[in-house]
Amino acid sequence: MVVIQLLLIASALGLCAVFLIHRQQARTKAWAKLIFAAFVVFGIYALLRPDDLSRVAGLVGVGRGADLLLYCLVVLFAFTTLATYLRFLEIDARYARLARSIALEQARRERERTTAEGGHD
Amino acid sequence: MVSLPDRLPRVDQTKADVTGGTPDFSDTWIVIPLYNESAVIWDVLHDVSHVFPHVVCVDDGSRDGSADIVAAAKVAHLVRHPVNLGQGAAIQTGVEYARGMPGARYFVTFDADGQHQVSDVIAMVERLRNEPLDVVLGTRFGGAEAVGMPWHKRLVLAFIVRLSARARRLGLSDAHNGLRAFDKVVADQLDLAVGGMGHASEFVALIERQGWRVDEQPVSILYTDYSKAKGQSLLNGINIVVDNIAHGRSER
Repeated sequence: MVVIQLLLIASALGLCAVFLIHRQQARTKAWAKLIFAAFVVFGIYALLRPDDLSRVAGLVGVGRGADLLLYCLVVLFAFTTLATYLRFLEIDARYARLARSIALEQARRERERTTAEGGHD
Repeated sequence: MVSLPDRLPRVDQTKADVTGGTPDFSDTWIVIPLYNESAVIWDVLHDVSHVFPHVVCVDDGSRDGSADIVAAAKVAHLVRHPVNLGQGAAIQTGVEYARGMPGARYFVTFDADGQHQVSDVIAMVERLRNEPLDVVLGTRFGGAEAVGMPWHKRLVLAFIVRLSARARRLGLSDAHNGLRAFDKVVADQLDLAVGGMGHASEFVALIERQGWRVDEQPVSILYTDYSKAKGQSLLNGINIVVDNIAHGRSER
């Protein structure tokens, strides 16, 4: 077994461990978990049997297994970017609602204070 | 009470003519989103509060002391966003503030940079009172003159309207005007999610989805060097389009 294979498999298993430890916080959707599991299994398989990857690449008309991996990575990256963008929009909306309720509450208190002072005159 | 209009000094006789013979506007709230307009907000506030006793200014995290000017003017309610959230968010905040006020029936969004005319607002609210309408949108292409509107801006705005199937369906000629008047039904249902400048398109989308009865009112816009300098750039138009598409997919 080549050293790089050992290193990469170790990091894949490490990712799994981190995911499991933080599964309480990580309120990801079920399909996201499935994709993650598939990614890890596929990664380890491809590391152990690189020739199989090359064969699959040949089947879909890509020269080398490494090229296939790169293309998959590009698609995955685009997907992740979009998902992150949408997530940010959602967080922005929540953040705006929070800030708004603070602003309205402050204005309400300010108004009550002014009215109370006016009453003393 | 600090917002009584009769305590105000009459700054300009020509403005006073506008108020002559106008009805009571105590059921109308003017919502002014405010972001870094310290140069003009004082004049705008005094113009508006001559006619309209209820004004709420939503300061969207200005860093030029705009909010302090509003507080000192004592003619408007002031709501301060703790952070900058964008104009759409400021309008939403202002409407939520105003719709909770007793007796509030009509609501108007009014730009803080002084490009809108109080006389147009009066006409729009009067139409809400007398016609079966929920929303009256100001249009720059309704015959009234957009004083000094740069030709390239005219071209871009006309193009955007042509592009928008929704605006066409609703018979709108100008979907990006900041001057709007609407009733309590609209105010209660209003829920703008787009924080930035894209809220204008979102507003039009809401009109169609909620089935609000809408018409346009030709208004005159004062394009001063000041407002031109602060106006939206073409690049911002791209932001508007993308924001609306993204929100359409993520939330509705």
